[in-house]
Amino acid sequence: MDASTSPLDRYRIAAEPFYQPVDNEVSVFEAAWQHRLPVMLKGPTGCGKTRFVEHMAWKLGRPLVTVAAHEDMTAADLAGRFLLGPEGTMWQDGPLTLAVRHGGICYLDEIVEARQDTTVVIHPLTDARRVLPLEKRGELIHAHPDFQLVISYNPGYQSAVKDLKESTKQRFIALDFDYPEPVLEAGIVAREAGTDTELAGLLVTIAGCTRRLRGQGLDEGASTRMLIHTGRLVAGGVPLEMAVRAGIILPITDDADVRETLGAAISACLP
Amino acid sequence: MTLPTASLPTLNLAAPAPSAATPFGDELRRQMHGRALLRASFEETWQALRRRYEPAALEPWATGVLELAKVNAGPGCLLAFWRASVTLGRRLPPDALGAAGLGAAGLAAANVCRAAGAPAALAVIEAFERIAERLDAEAQRRWWTMMTATAQGAPDEIALFAGHMPTLLARGSLAEVEAFATAGRRAAGRDRARRRAFFALEDPLSRRLLARMGAGPGFAELEVGLRRLLAALWGDRPGFPPSLQPLPVPEIGDAPRRANIAGPVIRLPEVFSGVTGAASHALYRAASAHAGAHLAYGGPRFTLGKVKPVQMACINLIEDARIETLAMARFPGLRRLWAPFHVTAPSAEPLAALLLARIARALFDPGYQDPDALIAKARALFAERSDRLDDPALSFDIGTRLANDLGQRRIRFDARGHVVEPAYRDDGLGLWDFGEENAERTEEVELAVDAARIERREEENAPQPPEAAPQPEPTGRARPAPADERGRIVARYPEWDAQAGLERADWTTLREVEPALGDPRTLARALERAGPLRARIARLVRAAKVGRAVRLKRQVEGHALDLDAAIEAAVSRRVGETPDERVFTASALRQRDLAVLVLLDTSESTRERLPDGASVLDIEKLAVAMLAEAMAGLGDEMALAAFASAGRDDVRYIHVKRFTERYSEDGAARLAGLQSGLSTRLGAALRHAGEEIAGVRAFRKLILVLTDGEPSDIDVDRPSDLVADARRVVLGLRARGIDTFGVTLDPGGVGSGAAIFGTTNTMPVRRIDDLPMRLSELYFRLARR
Repeated sequence: MDASTSPLDRYRIAAEPFYQPVDNEVSVFEAAWQHRLPVMLKGPTGCGKTRFVEHMAWKLGRPLVTVAAHEDMTAADLAGRFLLGPEGTMWQDGPLTLAVRHGGICYLDEIVEARQDTTVVIHPLTDARRVLPLEKRGELIHAHPDFQLVISYNPGYQSAVKDLKESTKQRFIALDFDYPEPVLEAGIVAREAGTDTELAGLLVTIAGCTRRLRGQGLDEGASTRMLIHTGRLVAGGVPLEMAVRAGIILPITDDADVRETLGAAISACLP
Repeated sequence: MTLPTASLPTLNLAAPAPSAATPFGDELRRQMHGRALLRASFEETWQALRRRYEPAALEPWATGVLELAKVNAGPGCLLAFWRASVTLGRRLPPDALGAAGLGAAGLAAANVCRAAGAPAALAVIEAFERIAERLDAEAQRRWWTMMTATAQGAPDEIALFAGHMPTLLARGSLAEVEAFATAGRRAAGRDRARRRAFFALEDPLSRRLLARMGAGPGFAELEVGLRRLLAALWGDRPGFPPSLQPLPVPEIGDAPRRANIAGPVIRLPEVFSGVTGAASHALYRAASAHAGAHLAYGGPRFTLGKVKPVQMACINLIEDARIETLAMARFPGLRRLWAPFHVTAPSAEPLAALLLARIARALFDPGYQDPDALIAKARALFAERSDRLDDPALSFDIGTRLANDLGQRRIRFDARGHVVEPAYRDDGLGLWDFGEENAERTEEVELAVDAARIERREEENAPQPPEAAPQPEPTGRARPAPADERGRIVARYPEWDAQAGLERADWTTLREVEPALGDPRTLARALERAGPLRARIARLVRAAKVGRAVRLKRQVEGHALDLDAAIEAAVSRRVGETPDERVFTASALRQRDLAVLVLLDTSESTRERLPDGASVLDIEKLAVAMLAEAMAGLGDEMALAAFASAGRDDVRYIHVKRFTERYSEDGAARLAGLQSGLSTRLGAALRHAGEEIAGVRAFRKLILVLTDGEPSDIDVDRPSDLVADARRVVLGLRARGIDTFGVTLDPGGVGSGAAIFGTTNTMPVRRIDDLPMRLSELYFRLARR
C-alpha cells in the first residue's frame, strides 16, 4: 500500500516530542524495534512513559496508535466491530487492527485496567506468529512488517485483582521507568514548564517529600507531570505556595491529615 | 393575689396559707418555720431569692430544698445550699444559673447525699459554689451528673474529689475532669486504698492524668502525622521513618519533659504541659523535625569518657546547631518551624542555663544581637568550621572549649536541674554512649543520666492507663468463677470416628467463652506500622467496591447495540415476524451478597515467638484486623470467632464479633484480648461456626479458617482422626452451601490443610509475615468468585 494514502497518516507525529533520556532506554527500544519485539514500559504515573513512546515513534518515523485501556474495554474495542449501516452491517477496524494491518506502533496505555480476557487478544501478535485473528469476520491478519506493540503498566497499582497474567507478561521486553535524578528532573521541569532552574529544583525537592510518603498515606508521590503543571502555574503568575497547593497537595490526596502533614513538609522545603 | 402579701415582713413569721400556684414553696416555708434552728437563715435566703425571682420561678428551687431535707442532709447541707443559692444567684446572670438550675442542683445534691452521706453532699455543694461561675447552665448539669455518678462509684472519696474540684477545673476542661473521674473509678476498681489515693491526687496515675489536663493535642493524636512528616523529609535515608514512642508526662512541679532519642527511636512527651491547640501541633512538629535531623545527620554516639556534665551540655548544644544547619540547608523552611521557639534575649544574669539558650539562639538566628563575649566566640568558632559541618567531631571540639570558658567565668552549671532550651530540642542523652564504665563516671553525670534511666524504668513498670488495662470484668457484675473460666455450654456436636467408621453423637461439648478485652491500641499501632500493606488492601477494597460490571445482553435499553440481537431482529422483520425489540447491551454492577466467618485458631502453638518478638497469634490478630477493616469497608456480613479446646467436653468458642454487631473498638478490644492456649479440635469448632453462619441470609457463605497447625487434642491419640472429622465437617458444610477455606501457617508445607479443606481450598502460608496480605488477597479472590 502506498504510504501517502495509509489510514495511519493521521497518527503520524510531525514535530519532535521532547524527551530527556535517563538511561539506555532509547537504544534498548531501538534494538527491540529492529526485531519488532513487543515492549512493556513499567513505571509510576507521570514519569514519561507516554512521552517516551511518542518520541520513539517520531524518531523511527512510524505512526503511533494509542489506546487508553479502561475497565470495560473488550476485545472488540481493540480489534474492531460490525456497525449497522443502511445497507446492513459493515466492519470497522479497531485501533489495534489498524496498526496491525498498516504497520504502526500500537501503544496500549495502562493495560492492566482492561479486563483480563481482553489482553489475550494480543497474545498471537506477540509471539513468532505475529497474527491477529478476527473471529467475527473469519479473517486472519498477518501483521505488517512495521507493526510493533508497546504496552505500559504501572506496578504501583498492581494488586491481586489487577495484575497482568503471567502468560502476557512473559511476551514483552520490559523497560523500567522511574522519576529521573533530581538534576535531570529539574531540567525537564524547567524546560517543559518554562521556569528557571531554581524553581524547578525546588519543585523536585517537594516532589521528593511526597514520593517518600508513598505507602505512608500516599499511594503515589507527585509525578514529573504534576511538577510541570505546577511550574506552569507559577510561570503564569500564581504565587508559589498557592500553585503547590493547587498543583500538588490537593490533587494528590483527599485525606485531611495527610494533606496537613504534606503541607508541613512542603513548607519545610520552601525558602 | 398572694403575690404582694407574701413579701410583707409582717406575714413572714406566720406559716403561709396554702396556695395552688406555689405548692412546693408553700410547703417548704411551712416545714422550715417548724425548725427553730433554720428558720431565720431560711427567711433570709427566701427574702434574698424573692427579690430576684418570681414565686412561681422559685418552685424548682423549693423542690430541691425539700428533697435535701427529705434525704436528711442535715442543717449544714441546707445552710450551705442556701448560701450557695444566694451568692450564685447574685453573681451569675439568670441565663447562666436560674432558680431552675439551683433547684436541679439541690436535687442532684440530694442524690449525692443518698449515695455518699451528708458530709459528702456538703463538700459537693461547697465545691459547686466555688466552680459554678466557670460553667454554663449545660455544663453545670453535666457537672452534677458526674458528681452523682462519682458519689455512687466512690462514696468515700467524693468529698476529696469535690475538694480538689477548683484545682481540677482550673487546669482542664469539664470533659477532661469527667474523664479523670471515670478513670479513677475504673482504675481503682474495688481497691479502696487506691481509689482514695487517686481522688486525693496522690496516686501516680491521677498525678499523670492531672498533668496531662489542659494540654494537647498530645502524642497519641499527632503520632501518625509526625511519622509521616519525618518520612517525607528524610524517608530516603536508612532507618527512616524512625519509630516514635511516647514518654510519660512528668508530675506537676517536676521539670518539663524534652524529647529523647534512644538509638533509632524518637521518644516524645505524651503532652507538652500547658501547650494546647495549634501551638502543641507546632511544638511536636518542631521537636520531631529536630530529632529527625539528629538521626539524619548525626554521627556515631560520642564516648562519654571523662566528659563533665557542663561539657556534655555544651557539646549537645553545638551538635544541635550543626544538625539544624545541615537540615536547613536542605529544607530552608525548617527555619520557620524552629524560629518561634528561640525567644531568649540578652540578660545580665550569669546563669549557665540562660547563657546556653542564648548561644543556641545565636547559632540559629544570624540576626540575633548579644553583647556577651562567649556568644561571639561560639559564633566565630562555628562559622570557622562552616565548611566542615558534616563532621560531628566539631561539636565535641567547640563544645569543650565553650565549657572551659564557662568554667573560667565560674558560672555554675546545675547538672541535675538542667532542662534543654528551647523546648523543641531533645535532652541530648541520645548523643552519648555511656558505655560500660559505670564506675568511672563522675557522680554528676550519673545524676544527669539518672533522670533518663528512671524514666525508662517508670515506663516499663508504670501501671497501664485505665483504658489500656485489661478489664477482666466490669465492677459489680460478678459471675461464678468456674463458668467464667470454661464458659457457658451452648451445644453438643457429634464427631466422626474414622476408625470405627461411625459418627459418635453428642461427642463434643462446645462452650462459648466470654472474650477478655485487650488494648485495642496495640492493635491499632500494629496496623499503623503495617501502613503500606494496609494501603494496598484499601486499594483492593476500593476496586472491589466499585464492583465488576456485568454485561447484560438483549436489553430493552442500553448504551450499545447487541449485534446478534439486532441481526436477528432485522431478519425477523424481513421475514415478516414481529421483531424482538430487546436489541441493546447494558452493563450493571454486580451486587455483593456475601457473608464471611473468620475462625481463628488460638491454640498453644500460636504462642511461638518470631524473631522480631511478635507471637504467631499477634500476626494472626493483625491479619484478621486488616481483613476486618477491609470487610467493614465493603459492607460484607462478617463475623470473627476464635477457638481452642481441652478435651472433647471443653471446646471453647469465643465470639470476637458477631454478624449482628458492627466492627468497632469493642471488637478490636476483644480481638486484642485473645490469648494463646490449649489445643485444636477443629471439627467441633467448624460445626459451631457452620451453625452460626447458616443463620445468616446471604447468597454466598464463606468460612475462613486461620490455623497454624494440625488438629489435635489432649484426649485424642491419633490426630489423623481429627483430620478426618474436620474433612467430614467441611464436606457437610459444602453440601449446605457454605464454603470452607483454610489458611494454614505451614512453613514446612507438610501440613494436612489440603487433606481437610481440599487442595484448591487451602492456602499454605510459608512465611508468617506474609499472612496479613495473603489473607486479604485470598478474601478478595474468593469474594469475586
